[in-house]
Amino acid sequence: MSRPLWGEPIETLEPRLRAKALSPVDLTRACLDRIAAVDGRLLSFICLAPDALEQARRAEAEIARGDWKGPLHGIPLGIKDNYLTADMPTTAGTAAPGIAFPRRDAAAVARLRRAGAVLIGKTRTHEFAWGNVTPPVRNPWALDRVPSGSSGGSGAAVAAGLCAAAMGSDTGGSIRMPAAACGVVGLKATFGRVSRDGIVPHSWSLDHAGPLTRTVGDAALMMAALAGYDPTDPASRDEPVPDYAAALDRPIAGLRLGVCRNHFFEDNQEDVERAAEAAIRDLAGQGATVVDFTIPNLAYGLAAIFAIELASSTAYHDVSLRAGRVRDYTPDVRQLVEIGRFVTGPDYLKAEQVRAVLMEDFRRALDRVDVIVGPTTPITAWKVGEWTARIGDRDESVLAASWRFTFPYNLTGLPAISIPCGFDREGLPIGLQIAGRPFDEATVLRVAHAYERTHEWKERAPAL
Amino acid sequence: MSETPLPDPVRDVLGIDLPPERLAENLAAFARILEEIEKLRALDLTDIHPSVVFDPTAPYRREAR
Repeated sequence: MSRPLWGEPIETLEPRLRAKALSPVDLTRACLDRIAAVDGRLLSFICLAPDALEQARRAEAEIARGDWKGPLHGIPLGIKDNYLTADMPTTAGTAAPGIAFPRRDAAAVARLRRAGAVLIGKTRTHEFAWGNVTPPVRNPWALDRVPSGSSGGSGAAVAAGLCAAAMGSDTGGSIRMPAAACGVVGLKATFGRVSRDGIVPHSWSLDHAGPLTRTVGDAALMMAALAGYDPTDPASRDEPVPDYAAALDRPIAGLRLGVCRNHFFEDNQEDVERAAEAAIRDLAGQGATVVDFTIPNLAYGLAAIFAIELASSTAYHDVSLRAGRVRDYTPDVRQLVEIGRFVTGPDYLKAEQVRAVLMEDFRRALDRVDVIVGPTTPITAWKVGEWTARIGDRDESVLAASWRFTFPYNLTGLPAISIPCGFDREGLPIGLQIAGRPFDEATVLRVAHAYERTHEWKERAPAL
Repeated sequence: MSETPLPDPVRDVLGIDLPPERLAENLAAFARILEEIEKLRALDLTDIHPSVVFDPTAPYRREAR
């Protein structure tokens, strides 16, 4: 059975768009119709571009006259609502009065426009990207579950076929966690690879940008447009950008897959652990060598990211704190912003020292292996309104559990992807995380693609 | 001899001016995080340079996108 137009990945859409066998207008209309049909239940978009069809008509005319701009030309994309946009308002998920953001395009948005994409709307974020729930968005696989966060609107929108791909931001896991919870692909590129200029800051040294997509190949196509030096982002690095798509089909035989046996395999829901172990066996079956190791200093990672994220976020919101505007933030975000003041200067700098230690530990591990593989999250999507999840014979706070495996790669800045690797007994998606060396997204994508092409998870879609 | 009162460590030193009940709520929420941060405080990291760098050339590198 063929997929509906709105359910196709960029990989299969773009050759037809380029060959003029598919109209960007028809494709955009299919996404807008899909949004009209199902987003009343998902609430993944906070606003739609009033000129989406006009953008599509422009793309169609450009392609018709031979001015094809690349694989994203005419592709409908969603933009997380903490990216500034010139043609749509930005709220960063807050309804607090007195908070306003400029009407200009973030650097990543400008790149996507230059690539010819149709930016159809803004997807919801947890307020100021400071949370893992993204209210009021619901998970397309089970409407009583959260999509995770903070890029929950992007995860839900891509999973439900409301756009071909969407942008996310990731400070402790906010691209990869919703990707895992919603059964899509989410790539947090290396710190410095994708410009954060024009993304509302959450924690300057932890914030990363990247795409959520339906397939690994689509992530490669998005990265081709997004990656590159931008002097307006102080963290941006002038590193060569490889042809990500060209590397995808190379076999993984001979690659060394690292499995960090502490931290990432100590406390998982049973179905998550089983799926991750099966994925590692499958990759080994393709000729990769599995190398187990441990990083004991990960025991200090949670303290480090708490100190850095809380202190940084509170510094960013300091003016609003002093002006009393945080009283209008949602209660959870208000409290996080307020308690950041309890983190002392020495706490912050000791956290940055631990970060240096972990960066060195991961470098040593990545001297011995090419990528590090494990589950993206220890839990699958939890029910709306619940704050604990069952792991084994006990309940754990979802705030603590959900980002346990993702935040190490924000502290270290390493590239990391989440790809679907199965479903739990309740039919909820499970994510596999693959991380690599700095600026080696190509190998991360290659291993992810090797797994994806030998499984059919991407063929499954939520029934809405 | 009159004694100068000590500054309040929360209000005057940290600059946190919240009603007592709100402060208590926040301290309770911070307790779980503090447990983790106490692990940091117990570490001897004297010889580790923190991963905080500054680049004096950064302002000279900014140019039009």
